[in-house]
Amino acid sequence: MRQKRSEIYSVELSGTKDIVRTDQGDDKEKYRGLKNNCLERKKKNQEEDFQKELQLDDHKLNNRELEKKYGTNIIMGLSSTRAAELLARDGPNSLTPPKQTPEIVKFLKQMVGGFSILLWVGAFLCWIAYGIQYSSDKSASLNNVYLGSVLVLVVILTGVFAYYQEAKSTNIMSSFNKMIPQQALVIRDSEKKTIPAEQLVVGDIVEVKGGDQIPADIRVLSSQGCRVDNSSLTGESEPQPRSSEFTHENPLETKNICFYSTTCLEGTVTGMVINTGDRTIIGHIASLASGVGNEKTPIAIEIEHFVHIVAGVAVSIGILFFIIAVSMKYRVLDSLIFLIGIIVANVPEGLLGTVTVTLSLTAKRMAKKNCLVKNLEAVETLGSTSIICSDKTGTLTQNRMTVAHLWFDNQIFVADTSEDHSNQVFDQSSSTWASLSKIITLCNRAEFKPGQENVPIMKKAVIGDASETALLKFSEVILGDVMEIRKRNRKVVEIPFNSTNKFQLSIHETDDPHDKRFLMVMKGAPERILEKCSTIMINGEEHPLDKSTAKTFHTAYMELGGLGERVLGFCHLYLPADEFPETYSFDIDAMNFPTSNLCFVGLLSMIDPPRSTVPDAVTKCRSAGIKVIMVTGDHPITAKAIAKSVGIISANSETVEDIAHRLNIPVEQVNQRDAKAAIVTGMELKDMSLEQLDEILANYQEIVFARTSPQQKLIIVEGCQRQDAVVAVTGDGVNDSPALKKADIGIAMGIAGSDAAKNAADMVLLDDNFASIVTGVEEGRLIFDNLKKTIAYTLTKNIAELCPFLIYIIAGLPLPIGTITILFIDLGTDIIPSIALAYEKAESDIMNRKPRHKKKDRLVNKPLAVYSYLHIGLMQALGAFLVYFTVYAQEGFLPHTLINLRVEWENDNVNDLEDHYGQEWTRYQREYLEWTGYTAFFVGILVQQIADLIIRKTRRNSIFQQGLFRNKVIWVGIASQIIIGLILSYGLGSVTALNFTMLRAQYWFVAVPHAILIWVYDEVRKLFIRLYPGSWWDKNMYY
Amino acid sequence: MVIQKEKKSCGQVVEEWKEFVWNPRTHQFMGRTGTSWAFILLFYLVFYGFLTAMFSLTMWVMLQTVSDHTPKYQDRLATPGLMIRPKTENLDVIVNVSDTESWDQHVQKLNKFLEPYNDSIQAQKNDVCRPGRYYEQPDNGVLNYPKRACQFNRTQLGICSGIGDPTHYGYSTGQPCVFIKMNRVINFYAGANQSMNVTCAGKRDEDAENLGHFVMFPSNGNIDLMYFPYYGKKFHVNYTQPLVAVKFLNVTPNVEVNVECRINAANIATDDERDKFAGRVAFKLRINKT
Repeated sequence: MRQKRSEIYSVELSGTKDIVRTDQGDDKEKYRGLKNNCLERKKKNQEEDFQKELQLDDHKLNNRELEKKYGTNIIMGLSSTRAAELLARDGPNSLTPPKQTPEIVKFLKQMVGGFSILLWVGAFLCWIAYGIQYSSDKSASLNNVYLGSVLVLVVILTGVFAYYQEAKSTNIMSSFNKMIPQQALVIRDSEKKTIPAEQLVVGDIVEVKGGDQIPADIRVLSSQGCRVDNSSLTGESEPQPRSSEFTHENPLETKNICFYSTTCLEGTVTGMVINTGDRTIIGHIASLASGVGNEKTPIAIEIEHFVHIVAGVAVSIGILFFIIAVSMKYRVLDSLIFLIGIIVANVPEGLLGTVTVTLSLTAKRMAKKNCLVKNLEAVETLGSTSIICSDKTGTLTQNRMTVAHLWFDNQIFVADTSEDHSNQVFDQSSSTWASLSKIITLCNRAEFKPGQENVPIMKKAVIGDASETALLKFSEVILGDVMEIRKRNRKVVEIPFNSTNKFQLSIHETDDPHDKRFLMVMKGAPERILEKCSTIMINGEEHPLDKSTAKTFHTAYMELGGLGERVLGFCHLYLPADEFPETYSFDIDAMNFPTSNLCFVGLLSMIDPPRSTVPDAVTKCRSAGIKVIMVTGDHPITAKAIAKSVGIISANSETVEDIAHRLNIPVEQVNQRDAKAAIVTGMELKDMSLEQLDEILANYQEIVFARTSPQQKLIIVEGCQRQDAVVAVTGDGVNDSPALKKADIGIAMGIAGSDAAKNAADMVLLDDNFASIVTGVEEGRLIFDNLKKTIAYTLTKNIAELCPFLIYIIAGLPLPIGTITILFIDLGTDIIPSIALAYEKAESDIMNRKPRHKKKDRLVNKPLAVYSYLHIGLMQALGAFLVYFTVYAQEGFLPHTLINLRVEWENDNVNDLEDHYGQEWTRYQREYLEWTGYTAFFVGILVQQIADLIIRKTRRNSIFQQGLFRNKVIWVGIASQIIIGLILSYGLGSVTALNFTMLRAQYWFVAVPHAILIWVYDEVRKLFIRLYPGSWWDKNMYY
Repeated sequence: MVIQKEKKSCGQVVEEWKEFVWNPRTHQFMGRTGTSWAFILLFYLVFYGFLTAMFSLTMWVMLQTVSDHTPKYQDRLATPGLMIRPKTENLDVIVNVSDTESWDQHVQKLNKFLEPYNDSIQAQKNDVCRPGRYYEQPDNGVLNYPKRACQFNRTQLGICSGIGDPTHYGYSTGQPCVFIKMNRVINFYAGANQSMNVTCAGKRDEDAENLGHFVMFPSNGNIDLMYFPYYGKKFHVNYTQPLVAVKFLNVTPNVEVNVECRINAANIATDDERDKFAGRVAFKLRINKT
């Protein structure tokens, strides 16, 4: 295993070498490391740096060579002047933040993004039109100036809104910066000084004590019981000992190097700085993470697609009618004004804001369920996720060693590994268990921290390492007060665990006052413990350890090891009272007591168990068509065991190796197709071409990647993305951050996660619970469906707003609806209803369907556009025209008199225009009527938008199946629509600039038949869709 | 691999378009097969046919609410507007005395406008009514009974009548006649049973100076009550709108004069802020003499 590890890590280190090398290779290999060419070129310098730097051999050098290499002295340290020179040469010991887009650029981008550019064009056309009018007639009406200003205001408001939303998303680099230790104790000029860590240079001699962060990459010169937490860097959850010995070829594996930003948990260490700032290992990962481009989220792509469609329609209709108008001998100026009207009518000004609000509402809802969304658009991404690449430690597992199995009396017992340990059901009556439990309790140095009497046992903080903690909590749960038991069995002497002995031993007085013997208890690596034993306890009686019992021991050991569990052996010996009287003085150095011919009692195995909610969540993901892939830095055996227990590898599926083992044939002979599951190690991955990786990802349903490096996690994520999958990555360590960034949605753990991971992620699971992802998926899918409804609702009225202009140009009617009025619909009455659709419940079980295909299942597809524009939109336009004609007819202008009336109508000098009855109208009287017409048309659209809102509640089910009153917010929306309409008409009817008038009450009801028609028509549509799935109707009418 | 998806060569795009227009494999024209096109066309034919019918029906129902006789609402027409004749592009009467063409078009228009006022026609079609009283004609149970109109004879316009006038309404001499008329409003009892008249004045002081003297026909600019009420085009067929002619006698030449005429009637407000033509009319007068 050791050997393997070194090779695996060399992948990470030479990961960038691949890129450089394959640059000259064939094209298919070219993108192995990073996705796109320009990024590659941009990063090349950095990468060459990376590559060079990682040919680190400082761990192989002895102290003298080191001193020579860095021109320093281990005792005296660097001289201040030399340090200053080096500081000037290498720069400060901190991570360079990536270049940031200036805020103003971000802001300006928002100002021209989306529909904004169209509205800018509209605004400028308005002003130009006014300019032309003004130059010919000084008293030109200011209407165009107002309109232009209103358009600009709309652009700026929506821009500011979008900018504010974007500004919330944070920058990944800030977290790397936060990790920098503030101060460092350094030896310079033979003196110990405390200096800011930023001023460290290579060659400095630093001292670090328990609790501090390592200030730079350092080569350990001497250490006392030092252990470091490398979990954020490598994913290993256990503390790693550090000493000055050179133990491994690989710099990441050797014990004599400590890494920048990791934490020294205990002990002290003195070391020489060998890398600073961006040249440290963490610096490289940081640059890897920040170098990974932020992919556009699927919803961003969808919205862009939608904007393109709408802008395309707006511009082409606009230009078409500009040409028509010009060729109909309209003045160019007038044609320009028509163009503005068409653009404004076609652009759903309020929609992008609505989408943002909708997303943030969902984000809030998700935050309540412990999914904190950092990037709003990520809300939907989770819904379209088709592959989840999950880290194991901390995400799928509890990140806590726990006793999983016991073996005594030739039997394996299962311990409860759930979060609270409450249900320990194994047989505790055997007297072997009594002995075993005593060993577990006594041969243990871990202790609860004081002052936690009211904390549940499993949550108590413990001083001690992971496995001792597990044993302590295990025994506390089963036996009760461990400290009391230890007190009764006073400890006489102990030998703590060390790597050469591989065992831990202690000698105790017994709690039986009549038994004056000492009890020696021992635990350690099972094979080493067994060597020291000559007997074995079965059912409380000692039996000689013969070959057959040794074999059962080995079977059990292999079985537990095969589950990926860490196994410990336990043995004891009652020291004879005659040889070791009460006064006997034990000497651990002289070892004046026996350490062989002991009595073997049992085995106990521990694992970091899966969280209890995970298996269910994985099943739900499965049924939702989401592939769950495990990507871990841990060993394949452990990974497979956890994968099996949480269902990532389901109970009845086998890997190629399993089949080979079952059929007893070589692996090569197994038909690859028979295997559903695959376990791929980093080492295998290293030798694979991209095609092979793609093949694995495509062919296996259940995949576990083990012993992978950060670089490889990236490659895996990219592989998944090549399958057109939307990839979610979960992770907690710094080593996960590049993959988190690369993923379509990165999900970090809120409790266990490092800051770097949280910052690279789009979403943070506050409770570290994988099951929360399922909630997120559900919400994401729902929001996608509901956004469809919102967009369909919003697009519909665009036709009703557009038709008036077209009719106005072609048939010369007095203008049915003004541009300002349109803005009042788009940004007034329609806003709350379209947000209300976000509260709509799902129509069917959205967790039972496949994730959407990101290229095929578009947000705005053809049926949606066609149905909104050409069906409902047209009906709405007709209904609104009916109200308009009614108002004009009842005032004296019957429909036929209106045709081609435009020129006379709008002529300020015609003040005796004759109506149908021979009455004559002044210009102002007509203008007021025109505004009444605007208001009427507005009310017509408003009334039918209520029907539109109700039909948009569902896409397939009948409204009555969905429940008309279940979504209360819809009714709030309808009420808001009506109230805003009433205020505009009756409250602001006297404000000239707004062009609203007090409308007679009965005109509100003129469009009602059309509104009812819309409802009925849509019910019929849905009915046929339900009756004839897959039919022509279904294909063309279901959006 | 990944990068290729974005960029397509021009040829590919053309190729894709060709395939979109006519796909020989699937026999699809513009993305649909023949049957699919037939379906879709049939569908839209039926659907739009239905919509047209629906719209026509609702429009028809709506038109039933509108009478042919009087408009349903007249709230916008509480104050009738005033207008001038000759009707010009920018409400300005510009007369170059020496240039016949500059005023000939006005004269033509006036001739045409005043033709129905000829005494012969009036005598033939309209009644002689009692002045100073509204000429009310109730239906008397007969629905929409045709209404008679009162005579307004062209000769009432005096020297502005243009009958046997060698000066062409004074245009050839620089003493033009401008005719003021009040907008027709159905069932409007102008003047509220009191006599009313039109007055004209220069808009500002200098305009008043430049305007000089003028005479009005009928005298004093009176409009008689007998021309009211108006019963609508359809049933008040020969209705003759009363006119007031203003002859400007000595307008200062070569200056633009802003003239404003108002009606003085008990029930017509002439001070509407927004509607500059409510009960009044403003126009420009310019006599160019060399």
